[in-house]
Amino acid sequence: MKAIFKREFRSSFSGMMGWLLTAFLTAASALYFFANNLGFGLPDFGYYTLYQTLFVLLVYVPVLAMRSFAEEKHSRTDQLLLTSPVSVWGIVLGKFLAMCAVFALPCLVDVVLILVLRVLGCTNIALLSNFSSLLCYYLVGCAAIAICEFLSSLTENQIIAAVLGFGALLLAYLMPGLQSLFSAGSVMALVVFTVLAAVAAFCAGLRSRSFTLGCLLFAALAVGIAVLFTVRSAWLTTAFSSVLGGLALFQPFEDFVNGSFSVPALVYYISAAGLFLFFTAQGIEKRRWN
Amino acid sequence: MIEVSHLTREYSGRPAVSDLSFTVEDGQVYGLLGPNGAGKSTIMNIITGYLAATSGTVTVDGHPLPEEADAAKACVGYLPETPPLYPEMTVKEYLTFAAELKGVKRSERAGQVEKAARRTGLTEVMPRLIRNLSKGYRQRVGIAQALLGHPKVIILDEPTVGLDPAQVIEIRRLVRELGQGHTVILSSHILSEVQAVCTRVLILSHGHLVAEGTPEELSARMSPHGVLHATALGSRDAIIAAVGKVDGIQSVQVEEETNGEVTFTASSASGQDLRAAVSKALSAAGCTVLNLTAETRSLEDIFLELTEQPEESAAAPGQGPAEKEE
Repeated sequence: MKAIFKREFRSSFSGMMGWLLTAFLTAASALYFFANNLGFGLPDFGYYTLYQTLFVLLVYVPVLAMRSFAEEKHSRTDQLLLTSPVSVWGIVLGKFLAMCAVFALPCLVDVVLILVLRVLGCTNIALLSNFSSLLCYYLVGCAAIAICEFLSSLTENQIIAAVLGFGALLLAYLMPGLQSLFSAGSVMALVVFTVLAAVAAFCAGLRSRSFTLGCLLFAALAVGIAVLFTVRSAWLTTAFSSVLGGLALFQPFEDFVNGSFSVPALVYYISAAGLFLFFTAQGIEKRRWN
Repeated sequence: MIEVSHLTREYSGRPAVSDLSFTVEDGQVYGLLGPNGAGKSTIMNIITGYLAATSGTVTVDGHPLPEEADAAKACVGYLPETPPLYPEMTVKEYLTFAAELKGVKRSERAGQVEKAARRTGLTEVMPRLIRNLSKGYRQRVGIAQALLGHPKVIILDEPTVGLDPAQVIEIRRLVRELGQGHTVILSSHILSEVQAVCTRVLILSHGHLVAEGTPEELSARMSPHGVLHATALGSRDAIIAAVGKVDGIQSVQVEEETNGEVTFTASSASGQDLRAAVSKALSAAGCTVLNLTAETRSLEDIFLELTEQPEESAAAPGQGPAEKEE
C-alpha cells in the first residue's frame, strides 16, 4: 500500500496535471480570499472563501481522480498491481490516500491564508471556526475523491471517468434544489420508488440469471410500495426526501459554515468515502470473475 | 509447485479453458504451446491470480487460489502479454516500485533491483524514462520486474513477441538461465522457441490440453520410425525387389529415378526401425546405398496435427493424451 501511495503521489507531479490542479484550486481560494476576506475585512474564511469556492471541486476532483483506475486498466498496468501480493484494499486505499495527499496541498495553502487572517487580527473563536470549516472542506473533497475513484474503476477511458465524476458531483451539488422540486407529492415518490424497485429487480434477475426471481422480487417490492402508498403515503414522501437528502453531498458542509462543529457531518463524509472505497474494491474484485 | 485441476474459465458463457488439469514440477522450464486463442494467457492470468476460475482449483506452492491469494502471489513473478509499465517513470524508479510492491525489504531493495537489471542487461538504461525505451528494452524491464522478490515460479507470457532475432536469442538464453534457479512457465505459439528452451511442453488447443511431455518424448511418441527415405544406385526393379523382401516392409514407392539413382520411400507395418535391414538387403543385391534416413517428425508436425483438429473433436472425451494419462 505504501508503494502504491508513493508512486501515485509522485506520478501526479511527474506530469503537468498535479501542478496545474494545485495551482487551479489555490488560485480559486486566493481570489475569493482577496476579494472577500481582505477586500471587505471579513474574518469568516469558511463561508466567504471555502463555501463560495466549493463548486471548483466539481472540476478539480473528477480531473484528479479520473486517472486512478481507468489509466491502469487502459495501459494494463493493473496486471502488475493485481498479481502482486498486495490486497485489493491496499491498492484502493493507496490510491485514495495519494489523491487525498495531493488535495491536501491546496488545503495547506488555505491554512496559511487562515493564519494570515489571524495575524490581521481575527479572534481566536473565528480562527477555530475557520480551521474546523477547512477540516470539513477537506473531508468533502476526500468523499468526492472516493466517489470519482469508484467511477474511474468502472471504465477504461479517463475522459469518460472525468465526465461521469463531474456528472455525479454536479447532481449531488444540485440535489438540495432537486429535492424541493420532487418532494411536491407522494405520487412522484411512488413513481420513483417503483422505478427503483424495477431496477433492483432487473439487477437481481441479471445477477442470478433467473427471470422468475427478478419478476418475483419486483412483484414483492411493488406490493410493498403500493401498501405503503395507500396506508401511509406520508412515509413514502419523507423516505424519498431523506434518500435525496442523503445524496446531497455538499449540504452537511453548511453546518460548519454556519459556525457550528457538526459531528454528524464529519461522520457522513467519512462514511461516504468508506462506502465508495468499498464499492471500488468490490468492483475490482468482481472484474476477476467476468 | 503448481497444481491445476479441472480448471474451467468462461467468458460470458463461452469457455476459454475447459476442464484442464496439469501439474508443474519444481525446477523445470515449461512451455505452454498453442495457437492464438488456445487459452494460454487465460491460464497464466488464473495462476497469477489476476482472473478467477469459473470452476476447478489452482494451488500454487501449497496455497489454494483465491483463498490464500496473497501468499500464492508472493511466490510468482509474472510478465503479462503487455509488459505492465508506467511510461512516466524511469527504469530504476519502476523496478524499485515493483520491488516494494512485492514486499522486498528496504535494505535488500537496491541490491535486488541492481541484480535484476544486470541479469536482463538493463544497467545502462536505468536512468532513462520507460516512455523512451525501445520495445526490446521494455520487454526486458518487464522480465526484470518479474525477477524481483526471488519468486519460486516465473511466468512469462509470450516473452519474445515483437523482438528482433538477436533479442529473441538473448531472451531465450535468459530464460534458460532462469530455469536453473526457478521454475519457469512460458507461453508461445512459436515451436522452435519452445523446443529450444523448454524441458517440458504442454500443447493446448481450444482450451484443452492435447499433449504433455518433454519435447523428445512428444517427438518420439508421435513419430515411429515407420517411414524411411532412401536413395540407392541400381535398377528400379532390383531395388524394389530387394527392399520388398525385407521382413516387415509393407510398401515401397519409387519417387524419382535419375542416372541410375533411385529415390524411394518404404514404410513398415509395425513402425519399427528397419534402416539396418534395408541397407543390408540393398548391399546384398549389389545396390550402393547413397542415402538412408528414417522420417522423424518435428514438433511442428505434431503441433499442427494436434491443434488443427476441429473444436468438436478436440472436445471429445478420451481424445487427448491428457485424459489418457489420468
